[in-house]
Amino acid sequence: MGLVTRKKVFSIMALCAMVGLLLFPVIVSLPSLAIGADAPDAAKKEEAKVEKGRDVYYKTEGIVVGAPAPKTVDGPKDYPRYNFESRVLLWFANQQHLYYGSFVLAVPIFCMVVEFMGVVTKDKALAKRYDQLAYDFIKISLTAYSLTAVLGGILIFTFLTLYPAFFGYLSSIFRPVMHIYALMFVAESATLYIYYYGWDKMKEGFLKWIHLSMSVILNIIGTLLMFLANSWIGFMMSPAGVDEQGRFLGNIWHVLHTALWNPLNLHRILGNMAFGGGVVAAYAAYKFLASKTDEDRAHYDWMGYIAMALGVAFLIPLPFAGYWLMREVYAYRQQMGITLMGGLLAWLFIIQATMIGILFLSTNYYLWQAMGRMRGAEKYQRYIKYLVFILACGYLVFITPHTMVMTPAELKAMGGQQHPVLGNYGVMSAKNGGINVIITTTVLSFVWYMRGNKVSTVSWAKFGNIFMGVFFACAYVNIVGLAIYGYYIPANVRVGLSVPQVATTLSSLFFMFALNSVMMKGAKQTGAIEWGKISARSQYALIMLATAFTWMMGLMGYIRSSVRLFWHVNEIMRDNSPWAYTHTVGFAANMISFNVLFFWISILFVFWLGSLAAKKAPAGEKAGVPGSAPQPAGSH
Amino acid sequence: MGQNILYGIISLAICVGYFLLVDHFLMDAQGLDFWYMFRK
Repeated sequence: MGLVTRKKVFSIMALCAMVGLLLFPVIVSLPSLAIGADAPDAAKKEEAKVEKGRDVYYKTEGIVVGAPAPKTVDGPKDYPRYNFESRVLLWFANQQHLYYGSFVLAVPIFCMVVEFMGVVTKDKALAKRYDQLAYDFIKISLTAYSLTAVLGGILIFTFLTLYPAFFGYLSSIFRPVMHIYALMFVAESATLYIYYYGWDKMKEGFLKWIHLSMSVILNIIGTLLMFLANSWIGFMMSPAGVDEQGRFLGNIWHVLHTALWNPLNLHRILGNMAFGGGVVAAYAAYKFLASKTDEDRAHYDWMGYIAMALGVAFLIPLPFAGYWLMREVYAYRQQMGITLMGGLLAWLFIIQATMIGILFLSTNYYLWQAMGRMRGAEKYQRYIKYLVFILACGYLVFITPHTMVMTPAELKAMGGQQHPVLGNYGVMSAKNGGINVIITTTVLSFVWYMRGNKVSTVSWAKFGNIFMGVFFACAYVNIVGLAIYGYYIPANVRVGLSVPQVATTLSSLFFMFALNSVMMKGAKQTGAIEWGKISARSQYALIMLATAFTWMMGLMGYIRSSVRLFWHVNEIMRDNSPWAYTHTVGFAANMISFNVLFFWISILFVFWLGSLAAKKAPAGEKAGVPGSAPQPAGSH
Repeated sequence: MGQNILYGIISLAICVGYFLLVDHFLMDAQGLDFWYMFRK
């Protein structure tokens, strides 16, 4: 057997092993056929004795197979503790695990996308650069992966030590899938290591496709892992599959598929991707700023751009997924929605709006700076000030609170809790308009960036340009018009206006990107993209993007968790610890900042470890890194 | 110049028509009336 054939056989075997690992937990969880054959008879005999319960969410009847949720009391049995607030320790462990978990789930998806781009691109030099970039991505995530597992262990020990009654109950409910989660984690680890260490051995032809298939399996396993973890928080917020006493009714699908599971899944996938993109972009920015040679600067500039573009591609639909989640929260329990957006936690949403605005402002700023490395993009520079104005207006409306925190004297002077003018901007109608204007402007900045150094040569270029301008203008008018229209119609009609507003933004995104791509096919280049020749300020924008995202993730996690108020499991298991109250905004903000700081210090350590490995790598490994030579225009 | 104006008018007609259709049908799909204010 020749060497190549042997390699092919081994790689196919490795791929089959991965598929086997993926299916293994599912097969293990299937009930034995032998048991299944006897089950109906046994069920008939048992039927007379069994107790039935009604599902709190699905309203179906089921046989009670679990114990009721424990009624905990404040004491060492249910809430053992150190001389410190247990909830804060759990908060820290959970948040760090989530940060790293998000990172190591997102980066392999980027890696898959970039590797795929490398495989399908016809330009060999560019294909090699994509491949090197994908390899750089996975290398970063490998050390972080170990740390994620360690943090997961710390989290479980924290639960077991500080919240044994609650964790015992949750484990009893999720017992049928707990081992699947553990086996999935083993499958993820095995697949990741085979994928990483098999990179050099499977770099060409058929073997490369096998390698790419491995990344698909790796990401399916990772996504399923995340879905399972999401089902726990979904159950805590909107329990299903149990009766009113919290007794498991035997249908694990009902427990997993709660009212909020799917919105949480979508929101977390998009959030993880945007976060992962931000972290990799910040890594590239740091390396760019620390680079000594033009070659390194070019490489890290390019890496930062790709990571940022991938991250922002998922950031743009993220607010819409957030709206869906909130809509489902309201549909599940209206009071829960009011607590979130109009009550106790409403001020945190103002902070969240501020952070979302910062993310989009940073993205736009980076793109405007990035136009500086393209000859020919100067033609757009004089229009940027108008985009700044539009963004600022959208941002200011988006962050305006409905009510102010005031002293009685201030309240009296203003004549009420709402400002006579600014109070109008504190409602959802205005805020939907604000965020959609911001996102549409970001799309416009991207379109300008993509055509910065190009002139369309298609015969209908003039009509295309005019149409594009009119489309964006009409999109703005429609978004703002719908926002104003919302003030003149009743709330039950107004709430539906958010859908056409979102559709307008998405129309701008998809149609204008598509139109621009068609127009720029075979376009004349006015100058090359000079990778590495970008201002240092742009790199700080990338770092800002990543930091803001980390902070916002911490904030949103806190909001989502806090909405349960004094419940471990909403309306099923009460939290009777001394910490079953909502923290002040100031305390929460300090805690989130601490988590962010800890994450960034620890991930810097991870990057440093990665750089040690890079220093030991053979010289040949750096081949294919984009140099300072002009890059093909198609590379953006 | 005349050609630009013509292109502008055609673009405007297409875009205004498109966004009105989006507004109308997406509200209709939710069982809501987009023209509520004008009908009342």
